[in-house]
Amino acid sequence: MRRRGRGIACMWYPIGFTVSANPSAATVKVNEDGTATLLTGTVETGQGSLTVLGQIAAEALGIATEDVHVVSADTDATPMDTGAIASRTTYVTGNAVKLAGERARAILFEAAAPMLGVKPEQLEARDRKIQVRGFPQRSVAIGEAARHALVGKGEPPIGTASFNPPTVAMDPETGQGKPFATYVYATQIAEVEVDDETGEVEVLRIVAAHDCGTPINPMLVEGQVEGGIAMGIGFALQEEILFDDDGRQINPNLTNYIMPTSLDMPEIEVDIVPSHDPTGPFGAKGVGEPTSVPTAAAIANAIYDAVGVRLTALPMTAERVLAAIKAKRAAQPQQLR
Amino acid sequence: MSALRITVNGREHVLSAPPETTLLALLREHLGLTGAKLGCDVGDCGACTVLVDGQAVNACLMLAAQADGRSVLTIEGLATPDGLHPLQEAFERHAALQCGFCGPGAILSAKALLDANPAPTGAEIRDALAGNLCRCTGYTKMITAVHAAAQALRGAGAEMPPLGLTASPSIPLPGGEKGGGLS
Repeated sequence: MRRRGRGIACMWYPIGFTVSANPSAATVKVNEDGTATLLTGTVETGQGSLTVLGQIAAEALGIATEDVHVVSADTDATPMDTGAIASRTTYVTGNAVKLAGERARAILFEAAAPMLGVKPEQLEARDRKIQVRGFPQRSVAIGEAARHALVGKGEPPIGTASFNPPTVAMDPETGQGKPFATYVYATQIAEVEVDDETGEVEVLRIVAAHDCGTPINPMLVEGQVEGGIAMGIGFALQEEILFDDDGRQINPNLTNYIMPTSLDMPEIEVDIVPSHDPTGPFGAKGVGEPTSVPTAAAIANAIYDAVGVRLTALPMTAERVLAAIKAKRAAQPQQLR
Repeated sequence: MSALRITVNGREHVLSAPPETTLLALLREHLGLTGAKLGCDVGDCGACTVLVDGQAVNACLMLAAQADGRSVLTIEGLATPDGLHPLQEAFERHAALQCGFCGPGAILSAKALLDANPAPTGAEIRDALAGNLCRCTGYTKMITAVHAAAQALRGAGAEMPPLGLTASPSIPLPGGEKGGGLS
């Protein structure tokens, strides 16, 4: 008989590591045609970090994302970056990009202020223009301001900055400290059906609520959450590296190391929780690794809800679930049905 | 050496290759078409998927000689000078790929589906993509993109046959069971 159950799991996760220095650096230069070039050492692996970093630079300069040309991951030309690891890129590299963009913007303000007859503090960068705050009709195009900074003032609008998350070392006596600059939080709920004659588990639906700060790009956040859930489902139900007595892996290919296919994926509902972290770039934190943290626990709890057995080893294969169901029945023969 | 006459992306090639050459090796190493990816090389991952006479096959499992006289479509042949194929557009718009390694194969599997079934259900799309492993996306946005592309192609009208006419295509299978006119 197929029995249905629901399980819930929550997690928190630190953004960026702090066991050692964790810096990122970036350079933003504004060109005379109103575009900008962003130099960053970070690596795009498909998660969309270069899109997000381009958006952050664009927001700092008041231009469009497509105006930003991103040059990345070339240590001949770009600043060093600690890496696309530890769910740190949006927060750590993003903060460096935002600071670099703001430094370039400050040079544009210095150049534009005498052109507009105001002080630099009265200016803002919006809609591809440097304009007087409250008087948007008094403006110069950003490219014009860049040109004036370069050939008029002799100060090219280039900003370089680095960011290293501020932390407080742990006090060895009290155990108190601040090991990470910020944290993200998430709750996932899994709905499963368990066949109590075969032990097979089918995940029907997962609802995932994630606080990642202000999402710079909600579609890419969804992509990270959905991908993390797929990994979590594999972790929960399928994926296991098996070794023989000599330590050789006996399932070294995808025929017998089983990972989720499109047929294993449930309906997924992603809920990006409204949030703002004042220490993050425009309120953002991060989203990568945390997405796969609560999935297996939610599925394990759903299995318990469905058939009353508590699995404590992963993956929760049909064999393991059925063994647990049989053990429970053996222990409580009077409750056999 | 086997003498081969293969049409790849609309262009006929006459060439010779050692008999053990797979279709994937022919495409990647002899013709320089590296869109089809070498993943597992044993037919598990689907990264090498191409269309042979309209049918999705794992190019790593097919010998080049088996493609003799047939027409092969790789990801390089999908876009036209006028623009991307609606499937490519939809995959881009919906961020259906992340690292992209599985993309050429997944898109061609989807094309084989939509050519045969212009209005697939979600279950039919999942089934069509089941042979294309993806470690990044969780497939969710791919499925959405295939739905969107199907809609776009149906909206385009003229070039798509009405629903049902292509349900049982008279395409010869690579194995040759239906190998009518082309063998």
